[in-house]
Amino acid sequence: MLALEPLVCTRVVATVAAIEAARWPTGAIALRVAPDEVLVVSSDAAHHTEPADPSLVRSVVSLVEEADPHAIVEGDSGWRGAWVGSDQALAIVERTCRWEPPRERPAFAQGALADLPVKIWLEQDRVLFIVAAPFAADLEARLR
Amino acid sequence: MIVDGRAVSTREGDSVLVAMLRAGFHPSRGGCLCLAGDCPHCLATVNGIAYRRTCQVAADATIVVRSHPEDRKPSADQEATARTLATGACRHRHCDVVVIGQGSAGREAAQAALSAGHEVITFDSAAGEDVVGIYPGPVVVARTDDGMVQARPRLEVVVATGAMELHPVAPGGDLRGLVTRRGATQLARAGLALGAVVAIGAPPDEVQAEAASGTLVRFEPRAGDPRRLGAVVVRDDDGNERRMVCDTASIDLGLTPRDGLLRIGRGMGVRGTGDVTLPAALPASPVEGVVCPCLGVTVADLISVHDRGFRELELVKRATLAGTGPCQGAVCVPHLRSFLAHRGASVPPAFTARPVARPVTVGEAASGAHLQATARTGLDAEHRRLGARMDRLGGWWRPWTYGDGAAEYAAVREAVSLGDVSTLGKLCVSGPDALRLLEYLYPARVSTLAAGRSRYSLLLNERGHVIDDGMICRESESRFVLTFTSGGATQAEWWIRDWAETIAADVRILNQTWSLGAINVTGPHATRLLERAGVTDPPTYLRHRLADVAGVRCRILRLSFTGEVSYELHHDVVRSVGLWRDLLELGQDLGVRPHGLETLLTLRLEKGHVIVGQDTDFDSTPRRLGLDGLAHLDKADFVGRRALVRTNRLPLDRRLVGLELSGPAPAEGALIWSDGVAAGQVTSSAWSPALGKAVMLGWLRTSGHGALADEVVVDGRRARRVTTPFYDAGGDRART
Repeated sequence: MLALEPLVCTRVVATVAAIEAARWPTGAIALRVAPDEVLVVSSDAAHHTEPADPSLVRSVVSLVEEADPHAIVEGDSGWRGAWVGSDQALAIVERTCRWEPPRERPAFAQGALADLPVKIWLEQDRVLFIVAAPFAADLEARLR
Repeated sequence: MIVDGRAVSTREGDSVLVAMLRAGFHPSRGGCLCLAGDCPHCLATVNGIAYRRTCQVAADATIVVRSHPEDRKPSADQEATARTLATGACRHRHCDVVVIGQGSAGREAAQAALSAGHEVITFDSAAGEDVVGIYPGPVVVARTDDGMVQARPRLEVVVATGAMELHPVAPGGDLRGLVTRRGATQLARAGLALGAVVAIGAPPDEVQAEAASGTLVRFEPRAGDPRRLGAVVVRDDDGNERRMVCDTASIDLGLTPRDGLLRIGRGMGVRGTGDVTLPAALPASPVEGVVCPCLGVTVADLISVHDRGFRELELVKRATLAGTGPCQGAVCVPHLRSFLAHRGASVPPAFTARPVARPVTVGEAASGAHLQATARTGLDAEHRRLGARMDRLGGWWRPWTYGDGAAEYAAVREAVSLGDVSTLGKLCVSGPDALRLLEYLYPARVSTLAAGRSRYSLLLNERGHVIDDGMICRESESRFVLTFTSGGATQAEWWIRDWAETIAADVRILNQTWSLGAINVTGPHATRLLERAGVTDPPTYLRHRLADVAGVRCRILRLSFTGEVSYELHHDVVRSVGLWRDLLELGQDLGVRPHGLETLLTLRLEKGHVIVGQDTDFDSTPRRLGLDGLAHLDKADFVGRRALVRTNRLPLDRRLVGLELSGPAPAEGALIWSDGVAAGQVTSSAWSPALGKAVMLGWLRTSGHGALADEVVVDGRRARRVTTPFYDAGGDRART
């Protein structure tokens, strides 16, 4: 069972150089979803029903735009997520994931989970599952 | 346990087969039992699942067995069907090495891998872990007591399934009382009385048996019991037959590799170890009797097809179906090879093996798999709360109607209505080369678009065929927002990313389809509703700007798909429900109500708007669609331009046209007849409440001179070709 909550995210699309030079705000998890794209998540993400935290967006904008004035930085509430303990996460992965998640910690991976597009952020004791909001209900149902 | 309705006692360690035999039951008509999971002679329906090998299932009091009928396939009652279809859990496991089989060779292989520091997963059929197939990857799929397992080794799969005993082919081979040598030993150890035993080949361990020297000729039934073995007849070297009366025949004709999984895994990083790799010793060529007990293929059948020219193993398999039954050739393939080798120059290799190696239920095959998910907008729950009938369109759940289509239509045409258009593709493109990229991608002129302005455009492929359409909204000198059809958004993103790379455009691309909700506020009172929501200066036609609507930051696009004044409000998806409810509340006295897709399709058809994918074919050009004006051939170049220049010189062969007729709307897909000849088909059709007649779009072939018929027949009725739009031809309602 996974109880997904709206996530506070910021999406950044910029040159590879700008992304690699950026220092993300304290308390933010920067997930490199593509060479030119980062999904920035607040590390205390969960139970936020407001749109993306404007202060986080602003700080990310200033960090990135200096290096790439054409960067796209947008607050984004189109994601749902849930933190779960490592043991529960591994059980979910064994049941639903055909690919092998990374073993090192922390680590980021993305791919099909229960045949839905999911991103996972793995820390030592907990794992964050992230899914696009249009598929959140299906993911919850499939993990029930 | 229960067998065919009767109670049967079991002992500790019994398999279902052993418990049945002890109680005097035989699961099938007869045949040589192997007790090793190779032959088809112990198959029965166990707990509702047909084709289970009873020798591989541990007996207990909860088990219910039904013998398979002899003259037909086992039937399934409702409960059994439900069990067969039920999908259980599927576990995905990863390791370095998978070892299949835990005999001595399998244990050695596993130990060696562990010693080398590898992670190992083992499967042992004796422990209820039945490998049913190996798939590219490789992926080893097994049925276990805890459900299905898919194991993905990083290094290799080791098959250590050993060797199986050859089965006899002789008249009477389907009698009860035949058992392989190892099987006889197992039965004796389980305490079964075997009676007088004749041993063909080496005698079984721990069993007193009379040796039958010579060549096996036939098995004879017992007097008074035609199903049960009564005697074995052998022939000595001098040609003399000897009849040996017995209750049980123990059969040792040698071993053959149990290599089905090894053959399935050929070319997939799968290797064998132990007896499974031994060269297969062929039995003597069969002379008479059943070769393939699964399908009842006899030696006479083999001779018949061989005489007709089927002389390769694969062809014999196809001609007779030998080897395609539940045992997948385990029993018959050695005999088939021997049969053909005896008649040809060389020994044919065993035929191609494919998964599954064991019968699996539909539920087992589907375990862990899911239907393709249908996306839900941020308003999905709200639509359902309002009683909408939802349908899947363009990969999304969408409200088809809220129950009163006529009222929804009237709200748009006469008052104001809300539509959920969150499903539209939304892409942000930014960068120094954004303009160059879009100018090259679109047939519309992009450079003349000022910031704050929008333009409708088609999207073409290199052949000039329409692949999508949508709005181009310019935000600044180097930043644009693009929209696409709901079903085409993903393809459009790939298309744009691919072309950006191809022409080395320095751009950033962000797909915001899932992140932004979109509500269409449409109708004569749409502007008043926005004013009440705090928008005092809404954008004019084909302009867009950012503004707060009922406290929600929105990009407002002023356009029209319905034929009435329309504003698309693009906003953070988490705010969709609040915005939707506030607009419904604010517009109550204006007659606001939501409309579903059914209404929207009628509204857009009245305006003659094309839906890409419904009204277009794979080869629809702007000219064929009657939208030539949207392709600016005077631009230097764009994707599809050269093809359009070339094809525009050819005579027009067909066109998407507007048709109208009185009476009810024909079905979409109806044929269009012209001069008694099928000349096209209807792509969109609806009864127009505003016009009081049926309106349609459809493909119509031109005559030999390139002309289009003015009158055609659809659905047996005369239809008139008219110019579109059908409704508000001047566009005053949409623009003002």
